[in-house]
Amino acid sequence: MPWYLYLALKQLFPTGKKFPFFTAISVLGVALGVALLVVSISVMGGFGHEIRRMIVDTQGDVQIRGSGLVNNPKAIMGLVAKVPGVTGVTPFAEGVVMLEYNRKPIFPGIQGIDLTHINDVIPLTRYIHNGTLGDLDDDTIILSSQLAYSIGANVGDKVQISSPLQLEKLKNDEVFLPRELTISGIFEIGHQQLDSSTVLVTLRRMQDLYGLGNAVHGFDVKIVDGLDPDVVTRRINAALPPASGLEARSWMELNQDFLFVLQLEKNLIFILLLFIVVVAAFSVTSSLLISVVRKTREIGLLGALGGSPREVALCFCFQGLLIGVSGTVCGLAFGFGFLHVRNDILHLFTKLTGSQEALERFYQFSNVPAYLQPGDLLLIIASTIVISTMAGIIPAWRAARLKPVEALRNE
Amino acid sequence: MSNVILEARALRKTYLSGDRRLEVLNDVAMTVARGESVSIRGESGSGKSTLLHLLAGLDQPDAGEVLWAGSTDTGTGRRAKFLGMVFQSFYLIPELDALENVVMAMRMVGPVGSAERDRAKAMLARVGLAERAHHVPAHLSGGERQRVAVARALINSPQLILADEPTGNLDEKTGDAVIALLLQLCAETQTALVLVTHNAAHAAKTSRSLLMHNGALNTA
Repeated sequence: MPWYLYLALKQLFPTGKKFPFFTAISVLGVALGVALLVVSISVMGGFGHEIRRMIVDTQGDVQIRGSGLVNNPKAIMGLVAKVPGVTGVTPFAEGVVMLEYNRKPIFPGIQGIDLTHINDVIPLTRYIHNGTLGDLDDDTIILSSQLAYSIGANVGDKVQISSPLQLEKLKNDEVFLPRELTISGIFEIGHQQLDSSTVLVTLRRMQDLYGLGNAVHGFDVKIVDGLDPDVVTRRINAALPPASGLEARSWMELNQDFLFVLQLEKNLIFILLLFIVVVAAFSVTSSLLISVVRKTREIGLLGALGGSPREVALCFCFQGLLIGVSGTVCGLAFGFGFLHVRNDILHLFTKLTGSQEALERFYQFSNVPAYLQPGDLLLIIASTIVISTMAGIIPAWRAARLKPVEALRNE
Repeated sequence: MSNVILEARALRKTYLSGDRRLEVLNDVAMTVARGESVSIRGESGSGKSTLLHLLAGLDQPDAGEVLWAGSTDTGTGRRAKFLGMVFQSFYLIPELDALENVVMAMRMVGPVGSAERDRAKAMLARVGLAERAHHVPAHLSGGERQRVAVARALINSPQLILADEPTGNLDEKTGDAVIALLLQLCAETQTALVLVTHNAAHAAKTSRSLLMHNGALNTA
């Protein structure tokens, strides 16, 4: 081991000293910054991960839409199903209806789903809390949880559904009566918008309500796990007939603005919390500068023993690096330790404040999600170590500038 | 091969003190042969320490040159192997124990293994500190610290030892013992010694005595 690395180690952890106080304080500062970064970025990542999973669970990995109706859905499904990487395709039709219950009208979005194929693409069963998907038929409807809560409807109740087709028919003096459907289930996805204003019916019922005949509005596509959705999207677009006017878009492309905001939030949190590490680095700089002043004669001695200014500088840079590495290791331990007990802490907090129900209703979760991407972890480690090492540069520069003869005279 | 280990040629050194220019060294010349011990005495401020720093390559003269074994290379790369230094204030590294302080000088010249550690232990034993090898400087007496410094100066088998008032912080008896040890070890290893001292008795023990006065060096 080069002398400057050995001495850097010894100055941080001196022989015979059980508790190196200055080192411990410096390491603790960096560790707290790292721990906070790990916890915050993990929780932010957890929310993002949950939201992404929810998007894919409700839209599939890829969505195919055209400018108008798709009149030959079976042919298109056949084409898309043959594209390598595609594991399932399901058609959908969508729109807005007026739903009336106890003379209380609301205007939710409506999705017509193909019961034969829906489970190949969207795991709806997972989200139906009351009733089952198997109970859905042309005379029944599934409501989203907050919508059902807002009108006070429950499974078994009957609702009236009116569609814009009624207005079209009225123009031609025809009568199109509202459809009466029985609530067969209530679903909760975990997305405020979907859970407050969406209803599900069979594709046939939707085609009936909108007068679509056999046409649909588009298709949700599921791909093999781990495959890049953009790659499969390009393959699907290549397979679609150019004259169909259909275009496949990956879930990332469809939600790029939302995903951008999610990423922006995470990046901002990262930058803000990184300032804690920067502040800790200033404390490291301060400690090392004091050390340079205290050890002026020793620095002179190192020159007299044959150490070059570059090696003296490296000795102090290494101290910054060692504090950074130690702080990062401790910070990761604190951070992952806290993440491990985060739900216990949350449950204790909500129990003490009586806010468990409000939390679940507002955030749709009872546990704090956490997901740390390897890239984020590497970024935290690298930025902390780089900042800590840089904290040693000013003291190192000052130490290197000391002339041995002047340092030795410093009695 | 020349027998001259150290040669100083026409060294001049001046310092600025406010508007005044202080001439600290004026045309100083000296040579030291292999195995020779030379003492330099003089009153405080006569330029002894300045001369020693120039001889050690820690400072540059305004004029003249210093040669180590015939070479003007007195840089850090050569210093660790060629030169050992002993200071009045010992200058041990407080975070290291006695053995590690000696080993530190060895680290300056290359990797340290068990053979080097054994050599350092033997050197500590030679200066009478075998039992104190794992004591940090704060737990050593002044005399013991200076003996560690002597062991550190000699561990790389240098050709030259420069000692700057090594007994200045020691009582008379301990100082005598340290000087006797230093002279003995230098004689055993044929290491040249330049000893700056105020003590006439210590100076008398060296093979040659020089006197520094007003920046000039004369034979005592």
